Amino acid sequence: MAAADVRDMLDLPAEGQPRPHKKQKVVEKRPEGITRELFALLGERAPPIAINENRYKGRPKWMSKLRVRPWRMAPFTNEARSDDLVLQHWQRQVEPTKPALEGPEAEREERNQEEGAAHSSDQEYLFAKYSIKARVPRRYTDEEYNRHLKSDEWSRQETDYLMDLVEEYDLRWMVIADRYDFQPHPVDAETNITALVPAKQVRTMEHMKARYYFVAASMLALEHPPSEMSEAEFDLHEKMMKFDPERERARKELAALQLNRTADEVREEGILLEELKRITANEQNFIAERRELYSRLEVPISVGNTTMYQSSQGLSQLLQTLLQADKSKKRRSILGPEGAAPSPAAQTPAPNAGARDSRGDTPSNVPVAPTNKKAVAAAAANKEAQQNFRTLSPSEETKYGVQHHDRLAPGVQFRSDRAQKLTQAKSNVQTQKLAAALAELEVPLRLVMPTERVCKEFEKLIHSVNLLLDARKVAEKVESEIRVLEAAKQERERKAKEAREKEKPEVKTEQEDNPVPAANVTSEPTRGAALPSTDGHAETAGGHTGEATAREGTSHKRSASVLSNTSEKSTKRPKKGALHVA
Amino acid sequence: MNPSIPPSTAEYGGDEVSAIVLDPGFSTTRAGFAGEDTPKSLIPTYYGKYTSEGQEKLIFSDDVFVTPRPGLSVHNPMGRDGIVEDWDMAEKVWEYSFTSRLTGPKPGNPFQNGLNDVVDGELPTEMEGVEIEEKPLADSPLLMSECGWNPTKAREKTIEIAMEKWGTPAFYLARNGVLAAFASGKASALVVDVGASSISVTPVHDGMILKRGVQHSPLGGDYISSQIRALFKINTPQPITITPHYLVYSKTAVDAGQPSQAKYKSIPPEKAPDASYRTLLEERTLSEFKECVVQVWPGPNKLSATSPSGSLNEEVAKSSPGRPFEFPDGYNQVFGLDRYRVVESLFDAKAAIPDSESPFPPPTQAQTVPELIKNALNGVDVDIRPHLLANVVVTGASSLLHGFTDRLNQELMQTYPGPRVRISAPGNTAERKFGSWIGGSILASLGTFHQMWISKKEYEEHGPTIVEKRCK
Repeated sequence: MAAADVRDMLDLPAEGQPRPHKKQKVVEKRPEGITRELFALLGERAPPIAINENRYKGRPKWMSKLRVRPWRMAPFTNEARSDDLVLQHWQRQVEPTKPALEGPEAEREERNQEEGAAHSSDQEYLFAKYSIKARVPRRYTDEEYNRHLKSDEWSRQETDYLMDLVEEYDLRWMVIADRYDFQPHPVDAETNITALVPAKQVRTMEHMKARYYFVAASMLALEHPPSEMSEAEFDLHEKMMKFDPERERARKELAALQLNRTADEVREEGILLEELKRITANEQNFIAERRELYSRLEVPISVGNTTMYQSSQGLSQLLQTLLQADKSKKRRSILGPEGAAPSPAAQTPAPNAGARDSRGDTPSNVPVAPTNKKAVAAAAANKEAQQNFRTLSPSEETKYGVQHHDRLAPGVQFRSDRAQKLTQAKSNVQTQKLAAALAELEVPLRLVMPTERVCKEFEKLIHSVNLLLDARKVAEKVESEIRVLEAAKQERERKAKEAREKEKPEVKTEQEDNPVPAANVTSEPTRGAALPSTDGHAETAGGHTGEATAREGTSHKRSASVLSNTSEKSTKRPKKGALHVA
Repeated sequence: MNPSIPPSTAEYGGDEVSAIVLDPGFSTTRAGFAGEDTPKSLIPTYYGKYTSEGQEKLIFSDDVFVTPRPGLSVHNPMGRDGIVEDWDMAEKVWEYSFTSRLTGPKPGNPFQNGLNDVVDGELPTEMEGVEIEEKPLADSPLLMSECGWNPTKAREKTIEIAMEKWGTPAFYLARNGVLAAFASGKASALVVDVGASSISVTPVHDGMILKRGVQHSPLGGDYISSQIRALFKINTPQPITITPHYLVYSKTAVDAGQPSQAKYKSIPPEKAPDASYRTLLEERTLSEFKECVVQVWPGPNKLSATSPSGSLNEEVAKSSPGRPFEFPDGYNQVFGLDRYRVVESLFDAKAAIPDSESPFPPPTQAQTVPELIKNALNGVDVDIRPHLLANVVVTGASSLLHGFTDRLNQELMQTYPGPRVRISAPGNTAERKFGSWIGGSILASLGTFHQMWISKKEYEEHGPTIVEKRCK
């Protein structure tokens, strides 16, 4: 069975790729050590055993053309040295320019090369260039010293000694201060008698530096007066003149203190540094967050003319275009790239286009969308597909954070603001009462964590508190009415009693029964109001009806407002269109 | 190329002139060719002396240890403070160190070596022009090392020997602290060198020692040996006597703590070697003991103090498993806490094991390593102290004691909690043992170094005093 048949059976394309083994079919050459018969027995494929001869791996061909460049021990001198010390090192012979010659000529060539090598080593020692000395100022003459550099603290000898050291150790002050050991030479006998032998004083590095800088700066100034100095020179001069040994000493003392801190101090500093780092990081975070917030609040305000959207017609048109844009977007994403791309500009207005542009575009958008037949068909299919979308169950909606909004106010607003607004009643007194009620319930006026659910619950709570307040108001009203009526009754009874006293005196007990039902009436609304706050919004209406007997008039008003609320909702419902996914 | 820019790291700055590097120490003398990574010739500085057939004979190198010849006494030309005491013998030992392995022995006197024997009857040919003796180092520059407190006289004597006796064409004398710093790739460092005879702390700045900061104390490897001996004397199951291998004929295995059952060789007193020979061989056993058993309490805090967690350090040390050691005579024992105690006095002078017979006086606190470092730092300018602390180089064979660098690190961190303390101690044993030799090998094979040599010409011009001027 050929491979073609298998391909046929498996529905594979006829000839996917060229078969590799055909290409490889190259007649292999028979290696030398094997007879023809044996090689024939081996068959088509080469055996996995490598047949090779035992011989050394040869050099690459190009190598044999090169000439060996021998290394030889060559003497060299170092220019950095003052004496002519000759040391020996291995050196590669210089590459000859001409090809090798035969016989005595080659020998001569060799000698030439040797000379050449010696010559090249003579030229310059490779490392001599690294021998550098620090630049120190020109040494002063006697006259210069006496005129400019005299000092009470430093004798000429000691200054010389210092300058020598500086030169010797290339301005390494650490070493200079370490090696400084000035022994004043025995001065002439005469001066010795007259002059006091200065007590050998300990020179600190600062003293030495101060003296050296003074000398160096003076020498610099002698060479070029400060007015003629170049900028670099002037800087140097200034720096050297301004060297303050006292300050340097104080700095070193501080450095020593810093070095010898105790472990506690170090730990404290570490903690403080950590704290500082934390604070700055927090501040950075805060600033970044605030900036982000501001950038969010600053919605791109549409500068375009909005008059065309102010009529309901204009609005509906806008809605239409938006819906259209939405649909086309969806379709595109479903159909993928091959799904007939109608002019992309018409599909979705470019996001970076300004408000005016989009306004200009949108009206023309509507008819443009389906340009060819295929697109129309696709749109139909898309519609079907859209209908096939399964609707989410309430639990799923909460799960995915899908929310339906009745009406969306334009612009960005905070959820907590909405909750906040509820606590503001129309009258000031009412607001205060509301606040008092919330305080009693230990619910903060401003929500700590205004999540969706908390806001909803808060809304409910406020609602019930309002109800409660209303109920209380009614109750108070009723109570006062009762009191008035009672007072009137008492008055009446008193009058009657007075009238009756003259006739019969037993009616007096009836008078004390009356307050009990009144108390019942006052307590009932509170219970009724407390109930809905736990049960929820839907039951408030029931609560209303339950206690309706007590306060017919007000509840009417109340229920009417509720009704109006619901009616409002019902009227708004058809408008609900946009699907918001949180 | 700008000459003021130093060669980049990738650039090879070497230029080998087949210089010989000689690093003489108290215990061993190291010699080898510059540019190599370990000394080719490593011989003990000790030499043996005995009389045979009325002639005084000398034994150098490891041969010292081998045969207990009658009357063989062992000497060391170096003093305990690292300064040469016996110049004649020092010269011979040093010469042996490079002639035995590196340059070959010097050719004998051509009159006597048999090659020029005159056939009788013929008159000797013109021999006046021939140099009588070829110098052993005639064609190799020599770099020698010295301790940081080497006096001027000793330095001048050294160059005199090198130039006049050995005939080296070029010579340089470098401080071993500087060389050890170079070996770990630093031009500025605080070098802590724990050798056989002494501990030295050398501040190095830009390749030069700061003389006022150089500190040294005698608490080296030999001091630790003396502490071990003191410990053996008061050892609990029974005092331990070290019997060197050459006195043991055969040994049988015994349990830990049991007295040994070895057969000893009996050497009649007239044939016995000197007591110094026995001490030297005991020392070899002790260094084995130091390598296998002795451990430095790694800290934190001293061995006698409590750890930060509140437990006694000694208790913690006791609870760690001990280390067994078998002596040449078969006696063996597990060493627990004691193995820490013998070296504790390197850090805490009070912890020294008292021994009235020890040649070492009881150490003072100023001789301990942390104090030495503290004093060394106080001797240098405050500006470079933090830098030195960040570049502490530990070298010397005795610093190979287990846990030494950990403890040193702990001590330094405690003394200097502020600056960053960083110890660089090569993990490779050879690099630690031959630190200063390796530094010398690097230095003498640098192309830029060849301008520093003191040439023969300069020596002849200025005399030995040139060494003070040039080798700063």
